[in-house]
Amino acid sequence: MVGIGYEGFPRETPHYSFKELTFEAALKAYEDAGVDPRKDVDSFVVCEEDYWAGWSISDEGAPDQLGGVLRPLHTVSGDGLNGVANAFMQIKTGYFDVVVVEAHSKASDILTYEGILTFAFDPLFYRLLNAHPHFLAGLEMDAFLEDHENTEEDCAEVVRKNRENARHHEAASFGGQTSVQEVMDSEVLFRPLKAAEISPLADGSIVLVLASAEKARELTDQPIWIRGIGWSSDSPWLETRSLAEARYARWAADQAYRMAGLERPRRRVHVAEVDDRFAYKELQHLEALGLAGGNRAGALLREGFYEMKGDLPANPSGGSLGVGNLLEASGLFRVMEIVRQLRGQAGEHQVEGATLGVAQSWRGIPTATGGVAVLEA
Amino acid sequence: MVGEEYRRWEGDMEALYVYTAGVAGDRFFREIRDNERLMGTYCPECDVTYLPPRLYCETCFSELNEWEEIPNKGRVDAITVAYVDDKGERLARPKVLAMVRFLGANGGLIHVVDLPEEDVYRGMEVEVVYLPRGLRKGSFLDILHFKAI
Ligand SMILES: [Zn+2]
Repeated sequence: MVGIGYEGFPRETPHYSFKELTFEAALKAYEDAGVDPRKDVDSFVVCEEDYWAGWSISDEGAPDQLGGVLRPLHTVSGDGLNGVANAFMQIKTGYFDVVVVEAHSKASDILTYEGILTFAFDPLFYRLLNAHPHFLAGLEMDAFLEDHENTEEDCAEVVRKNRENARHHEAASFGGQTSVQEVMDSEVLFRPLKAAEISPLADGSIVLVLASAEKARELTDQPIWIRGIGWSSDSPWLETRSLAEARYARWAADQAYRMAGLERPRRRVHVAEVDDRFAYKELQHLEALGLAGGNRAGALLREGFYEMKGDLPANPSGGSLGVGNLLEASGLFRVMEIVRQLRGQAGEHQVEGATLGVAQSWRGIPTATGGVAVLEA
Repeated sequence: MVGEEYRRWEGDMEALYVYTAGVAGDRFFREIRDNERLMGTYCPECDVTYLPPRLYCETCFSELNEWEEIPNKGRVDAITVAYVDDKGERLARPKVLAMVRFLGANGGLIHVVDLPEEDVYRGMEVEVVYLPRGLRKGSFLDILHFKAI
């Protein structure tokens, strides 16, 4: 990992088109990496989804804002962390030295967000229920709290922590001081899920520059290494996937940890950025990643284990609850944040002495797809 | 630039489809319409019956050709109560939704439970209620809701 750049993350960006948003992020990433996209980049990976763009076959609109016209470019219709996995594999072939990954959110352009999520349900089954798509998050949270040793207060605690952390992130839109009681008192929308536990949407674009080991050493004296990466999908059938456990994340973590030779991750990892699009998801994901000593994420949270000053700070950036839901850029945001931490460039939310970090993605409701990357300084 | 109105236009991407139920889905919905019963496909390799049914096993990847009837009674496994509608507007009457598991079936069904929210609990027995015969069209909505036994 040799370059990072972002433009964001306000609630809306009425002055920029999504292409311009990406251009601004790309300029920063290329400056950071010291590369010229027209000369030095061998391939581009863009992660986006037509319905978020409101534009069919929208990947055809991707090359120019990245400097990728007349170069190899492919789209991953999925989260940005999957794009990192694709770039990683391209570099491993030996045919590509420098690969760029981009993902963005122009959520403020979407007038019917719920409708798009509803269209992601099976059209012959649950799309017909005429229910708000977040009902599935309510069901998952209920199953998770029943099966695991966590409480509704623990989920509220996640909101308090992440919004507090986001106060120290220079680009977060939703940082602030919130008490557990305020979260518990917020409107119950999909019992047991409450309004304050749902991350609000934000806009932004993120660009990362990856390079082969040899090229990375040439470009920077502070490369961040991808030691392991994995991704997987649980059953698309809501009835046969696990509602209580994030099995997709567990499988992805197993693959990434095996590649990295990482055992006992809870003791060795210094910092984690995990998907918290809904508050219960952070706890569920920490458990699936083996960062919670089994199903004890809530108990560890109560003990201060995941706080900024704790043994394993979780979402020091503020996560999606504090920074905003960045749609397909959510996982790429988490990778970028781990890179900043390991470089010692996370500013006011720097975790002291972090040299080994984990980033994890989830593609959001109603998916059961996620990825995990293990990064080291 | 600040204070000026930036150019933005509203638009949509209307598109129409027919959704093919497929071999397994066709029989599943037909059985509901004609016989008021839930049918699943059985995998002899894994000894599991899938509900909803599918033509292939997600565990061993066998093609599935055996069908089994699934009892109309199941147990509530997870519950949520939606207080807002599909567009986020407050509902006059909250919608109780549950994942119901059926004995002998791998899977289950999510649907509305026709009870006040305080009366629905994990583990409670419920029954599938179908629309009256003449109104059924062979769709998922031929299942009206779950009711307490
Ligand atoms: Zn099987």
